[in-house]
Amino acid sequence: MELTSSRTHLVAALLAALAFVVVLALVGDLVGTSVERTIIVFLVSLTAISAMGLYSGNSGILSFGHLSFMGVGAYVSALLTLPTHIKEATLPALPGWLASTGLGLWPATLVAVLVTMAVAVVVGLAIWRLEGSAATIATLALLIITHGILIGWRDVTRGAQTFFGVPRDTTIWVAAIGCFVALIISRLYRDSAWGLRLRAGRENATAAASVGISVPRERFIALVLSAGLMALSGALIAHFLGAFSPKKFYFTDTFFLLAMLIVGGMTTVSGPVLGAAVVTLITEILRRLEGGLDLGFMEVPQVFGTTQIGIGVLILLALMHRKDGLAGMKEWEEWLIPTRRAAVNPKPLSPAESAPVIAENVTRRFGGLLATNKVSLTVRPGEILGLIGPNGSGKTTLLNQISGVLPPSSGKISRGEQDLLKLPSHKFADAGIARTFQNIRLFPTLTVYQNIQVAALSSKGGRDAAARVAGALQWLGLEAVAETDAGTLSYGDQRRVEIARALVCQPSLIFLDEPAAGMNREETDALMDILRRINTDLGIGILLVDHDLALINALCHRIAVLNEGRMIAEGTPEEVRSDPAVIEAYLGTFTKQSTVPT
Amino acid sequence: MRRILTATTALCLAALAAQADELKLGLATAQTGGLAPYDAPVVEGIHIAVDEINATGGIGGSIMIELNEKDVRSDTAQTSISVQELVDAGSEAIVLPCDADPSIAAAAIVDAAQVPAISTCASSPTLPLIGGDYVFANFPGDNVQATVSASWAFEQGMKSAFILYSPDSQYTTMPLYFADVMKALGGEILGEATYNIGQPDFSAVATQIAALDPVPDMVMTSAYEPDFPTFIKALRAAGYEGQIIGSDGIDSPTTFGLGNVAEGVVFTTAGHATAGSPLEAFNALYEEKTGSASETVFNAVGYDLVKVLEAAVMAAGSTEPKAIRDAMANLEDVQGATSLITYRGTTGMPVRQVSLIRVKGGERELVGQPSPNADLIPAPRMQ
Repeated sequence: MELTSSRTHLVAALLAALAFVVVLALVGDLVGTSVERTIIVFLVSLTAISAMGLYSGNSGILSFGHLSFMGVGAYVSALLTLPTHIKEATLPALPGWLASTGLGLWPATLVAVLVTMAVAVVVGLAIWRLEGSAATIATLALLIITHGILIGWRDVTRGAQTFFGVPRDTTIWVAAIGCFVALIISRLYRDSAWGLRLRAGRENATAAASVGISVPRERFIALVLSAGLMALSGALIAHFLGAFSPKKFYFTDTFFLLAMLIVGGMTTVSGPVLGAAVVTLITEILRRLEGGLDLGFMEVPQVFGTTQIGIGVLILLALMHRKDGLAGMKEWEEWLIPTRRAAVNPKPLSPAESAPVIAENVTRRFGGLLATNKVSLTVRPGEILGLIGPNGSGKTTLLNQISGVLPPSSGKISRGEQDLLKLPSHKFADAGIARTFQNIRLFPTLTVYQNIQVAALSSKGGRDAAARVAGALQWLGLEAVAETDAGTLSYGDQRRVEIARALVCQPSLIFLDEPAAGMNREETDALMDILRRINTDLGIGILLVDHDLALINALCHRIAVLNEGRMIAEGTPEEVRSDPAVIEAYLGTFTKQSTVPT
Repeated sequence: MRRILTATTALCLAALAAQADELKLGLATAQTGGLAPYDAPVVEGIHIAVDEINATGGIGGSIMIELNEKDVRSDTAQTSISVQELVDAGSEAIVLPCDADPSIAAAAIVDAAQVPAISTCASSPTLPLIGGDYVFANFPGDNVQATVSASWAFEQGMKSAFILYSPDSQYTTMPLYFADVMKALGGEILGEATYNIGQPDFSAVATQIAALDPVPDMVMTSAYEPDFPTFIKALRAAGYEGQIIGSDGIDSPTTFGLGNVAEGVVFTTAGHATAGSPLEAFNALYEEKTGSASETVFNAVGYDLVKVLEAAVMAAGSTEPKAIRDAMANLEDVQGATSLITYRGTTGMPVRQVSLIRVKGGERELVGQPSPNADLIPAPRMQ
C-alpha cells in the first residue's frame, strides 16, 4: 500500500509512538501496583479509541457500534485461552473441538482479530452504502444486535452471566505492544492511499467520486481494519480482567471511550492519544478528590459522581471551544516538521482516449420540472466547447448528467463502445472525463498537494502518481502553495486547485462549471491562457460552462446554447451570436435587431 | 549498618503497634452507575455500623475502623484498579460490589494479596467458589432461599410444583435449586419453562400451567420486575389458583400494590422487622442517624457486613488480614440486623435465616424465619 505522506513525518510519528508506550510501560512496570493497572487500562482504551478513530475519524461517520467488535474479540480470544477444566465446568454445551482448544494469548488474539474482521466484512456488506446519520444509526443497531447475540448465545458465552476464568495474561508489556500495533496501523492507514481517499470522501463525497474514489469501498476497508484493532483491544481487556460479561461491551463503555475520542479529536492519531491521556488524568485527579480530602483549613466532603460530571464538562468544553478535539485536524508532526517531498520530474498529462462523448435525447425531471429536455450534445477531445444559457436553463444539470453525478431520467450517453449510463460515478475519471464544480468542491482540510495527489492515486491505477501531481501543479502554477490547506486559499486559487485536481486524472475531456466565477480580470486572463494551452499543448477537450461571454467567445471553438432545458443553438461563436433564438433567449423578443453582447 | 537495622526494626514495630489500633477497611463499591441502587444503601448501612462501633472506642473497645472509600462506577476495570489501590494502601479487609463480574475480577487481586473481601450483596453461591479462599458473600445465597421456600411448602403439604426460570442470569435460575430441594424432600416437579428477562408476554406459559393435569400445588419463580407482575397476571388470568412462590427480587412496593392477583403470594427475603427484633432496632437507629426511614433491607445488610467483620477481628484477636480471613471462615451465629449469620462449614456463602413473607391485603405478613437445614442446601451450580 502506497504511503502518501513524507517519510520524515511517518518516522517521527512511529518513533514518538514507540517512545510513548515504552516510557509508560516502564513507569508502570517500575512503580507497579495500582499505577500499573491504571496504565494497562489506559493502553487498552487507547488501543480501542485509535481503532475507533481509524474508522470514524477518516470516514467522518461517528460509530456507536465499535464495542461490538471489541466484545467479539474478547469472547473469541477468551474462548480459545480458557483452561479446559473451566470450560467443562462452565460451558458444558461447547462444541468438542472448541472445548479442547487451549491456545496462548497471542495466537488466540490473532484468531480473534481474524474472526472479528470476518464479522466486520458481513456487517460492512450490509452498511457500506449508508452515509451520515443513517450510518451512525446503523452502528447503534449493530451494538444492540451484538449485545443481544452475546446474551442469547448461552452455550458459548454464558449469556448475561460472568464469563470467568480467563487467564490474566495482559501484562503491562503485552498491553504496550498491543497499543503500539494499534497506533502504528492507525497512523499508517491514515496516510496510506486508502486513508487519504477516505479522508477526501469525508470532506466531499461528490468530488471524491469525480476523481475516481469509491467512497463506500474505502469505508468498508476502514471498517474491517478498525474492527480488527477493536478485537485486539477486546482480547487485551478480556485477559486483563479475567472476568467480564456482555454489559462490558455496551453503552456505558461506548460513551466512555467516545468521550476520550471526542475530547482528543478523531481525525488524527495524536487525537486519541491526547484524549485518552487528558480524560485518564482528569479521571484520576477527580477520583482522588471525590473521596473527600482535608485541605488543612477546611474539609472537602466526599461526593461520588464528581468524576462523571468532570468528564461531561470536559466534553462540553471540547465541543464548544475545539470542535475538532484538542489535537485538531493535523498530526503533531505535521504542525512541527515542514513537509519536504522528493523532487519528481513532471509527467506530461496527455490523454489516452480519442472518442467523443455523445449525449442523445438526455432528459431529467425534477418533479414536474424538466431541467433538461431531450438534449443531444457531442463533446470531442481536442476542442473547446462552450455551454451557455440564462440562469436555470439546465447547464449544470446537463453537465452533471454527462459526468456521472446525476443519472438522466431518460436518454443515452456513450463514449465509443462504452455506455456511460452503466458506469458508477467514480469510474468516470478512468473513462477520461474529469470535472470541476460550480460551487467549489475541494477537500478543504487536505493540503493542495494532497487534494491533487488523492486524485492521481485514484485514477489510471495510481501509476506515476507523484510525477502526474508534479505535472498538474506545474500546469496551474500551484507549486508555491502545494503544502497549504486547500480550504484556506483565495477563491481564484481554489478554482485552480480544482482544475489541477481534474487535470491530474489525465482526462481527455475536462468539464469546467463556471471556472472564472469569483475571479478578477487578471486572474481570468491567466486562467484563459492556461486553458488554451491545456487544449493546444495536451490536446485535452474542454466543456466550459460560464456566464462570462467574453471568456466563452475568446476561448471556444464551438458554443451550445440551452434555454429552459432545451438546446436552442449550436455552432461556432459567430453562428451562435447571430442566432435569433439565442438573442431572444438572452435579451427578449423586442430587440430583434441587437446581437448578443460580446 | 546495625543502626539502620535497629531503626528499621523500630519502625516496623511502630507500624505494627499503629496497625493494632485500627482496622483498615477498604470499600470498592459502585456509588454511581448501574449497581449503585444496591451498593449505595449497603454502604449507608456500613457507615452506620462503623460509626456505632467507633463511638464505643472501636472493635473490642480498642480497634477503630478506618474507612477508605472508592467509587468503582459499576465498571469491572475500575474495580480491579480500585481494589489494587486499596491493597496497596494496606487495607486489611475489602468490600466488593454487589455484582459477580467486578467481584470475580477483583478476586485474583485479593487472593494474591491474601486480604479477605466481602461482596456487598451478590447472592450467587458460585461467587466464593470462583473467587477462592479470600472471597466471601454477605447475602442469603440463591440456593439457601430456595431451600427455605421449598422446605416450607413441603411442610404445608404442597408436593407438586411447576418452575419458571430464566437462564439469562444466575439469580433467575434459583427455581432450579428449588426443584432440587423439592425432589430431595420427596416432592414432584410437574414441569418447567424458561423465559427471557424483559419478555413482554407470558400468556403461553400461563396457559400451559393452568392446563396441566394434575394441576401443580405451586408455581415457583425468581422472576422480578417487570417480569413477575406480567407473569402473575397472566397466570391468574389463565385460571391457575394454586400457591405462587417468589424470591427476594419481588420484595418491592410494586408487589404489594398488585392487588388481588398477588394476594397470597409467598416469597423469601433477607429479613423482617418483627417487634423487638434486631432489624427493628436497626431501622430505629437508621432513622435516628439519617432522619428518614430505611426504605430497603440493603441498609441492614450493610450493617450485617460490619458486624461480621467485627466478630472476625474479635475472634482473630488481630487485624492481620489472613487471621481475619481464617476467623471469618469459622464464624458461627453472629447477630446481625437481619439474621444470625454463620460461615463455618460453608465455602464463603453465609448461612442466614431467611424470612418468608406472605402478601396479605396489600401488606406483608411474616410466615416464618426458619433456618435452613444445611443438608438440604444444593451445591452451587457453575453453569
